[in-house]
Amino acid sequence: MARSLGWARERRLAPATTANEGGGSSDASRLRLVSDKAYADWEAVYRDNVDRIYRLMFVKVGNRADAEDLTAEVFLAALGPLRVSASVGEVRAYLLATARTVLAGYWRRTLGRPVTWIEQDYPAPADGAATASDAPARAEAVLAALPEQYRRILRLRFLDSCSLKEAAAELGVSVANAKVLQHRALRRAAQLCEEEQGR
Amino acid sequence: MTARQVRRFVDDLLRGRRAKPFRAEETDLSELRAAIMLRTARPGSGAPSEEFLTGLHRRLAAELSDTESAGTPTPGGTRRRFIQGASIAAAATLGAIGEHALAGNRGGDISQGNPQGQATLSPTVGAWRTVAASADVPEGGVRAFDLGSVTGFVHRGDGRVAAVSGTCTHQGCRLLLDAAGRRLDCPCHNTTFAVSGQLLSHQLPVAPKALPQLAVREVHDAIQIYAPPTPG
Repeated sequence: MARSLGWARERRLAPATTANEGGGSSDASRLRLVSDKAYADWEAVYRDNVDRIYRLMFVKVGNRADAEDLTAEVFLAALGPLRVSASVGEVRAYLLATARTVLAGYWRRTLGRPVTWIEQDYPAPADGAATASDAPARAEAVLAALPEQYRRILRLRFLDSCSLKEAAAELGVSVANAKVLQHRALRRAAQLCEEEQGR
Repeated sequence: MTARQVRRFVDDLLRGRRAKPFRAEETDLSELRAAIMLRTARPGSGAPSEEFLTGLHRRLAAELSDTESAGTPTPGGTRRRFIQGASIAAAATLGAIGEHALAGNRGGDISQGNPQGQATLSPTVGAWRTVAASADVPEGGVRAFDLGSVTGFVHRGDGRVAAVSGTCTHQGCRLLLDAAGRRLDCPCHNTTFAVSGQLLSHQLPVAPKALPQLAVREVHDAIQIYAPPTPG
């Protein structure tokens, strides 16, 4: 079936009314639009979604190289199977579902356990806006609850990109002490996060 | 004990490196999560780089460009590929899958050249080693060499001598110069490279990288490659 038509040519029937799929829009009264528009082509899908998917992956894995690989994996896996007429909302949901699978595979490969995941109810954005990461707010909340030295070492190392040496100098302790301090502070921060999640 | 690996994970995270695999314990997870959360709270760290965005765009264009049914070029040079989507588990979350799918074979020509930059082989310890006489590689000529530690091909184009690795970037099979002396063929998956190292065609889900280049010079009518010492 060689139909070389554009993505935007047809609009999507809601699943409940797909009985006359292929019949075109002759029975227009029965059509129910899932979303108000479809993407023009795969490049439109890419432009509209790549930033969001990357940011999501970065928040989940914490490093650029892996976030880039996973983002690429999502698009390589998802763009092929996307059907011509999928609506914007469906495409976004599909990319998110693919991202969920890709992230789960990543943790299975690297650490053998799901360290982070994309929640089933993670909101697929209604408009083009990127979902802002809640990491800064969460980090501030956790840091605020820590003892002074713990807060300072974590802030220097994680937020201010200081090396261990720089952080040690800033705190007036030895590098070895800074290392131990960071380790304990992170452990305490982890406990606080757990408690916060459990609430 | 995984305490050391957890520390290494955190260390890599802070240095912006990839996570290295290890078998994490259930009790490690909260610490790993907290480290990721704190790291990603760093101001301005969440945005993708321009370089990555353009690179991936190019890769996808190459991936999607090859399977439109033959003889129906799409204006603007962007062709689309749709395969039957029902087999993808994630698609189930979408409900109905349309019938407007084109079955497509993968692979094909990539006109834009290599999607990734071309690396240059830079051994920690190396030496200039002669691989051919200048006269052996005339303009347009290609010649294979094997230094034991490295195999590759030297060629001369536009008066300049250049050399590339002779190992396929996909799974390491040894490339062969085709009969016409224009192209390097991988015997494993029909991937082909130009003698300059650029990817020409492939049938893989993800485009393999271009072949690494080798440092090359010409002295006293000899072509030399900067290569690591031969083992043994």
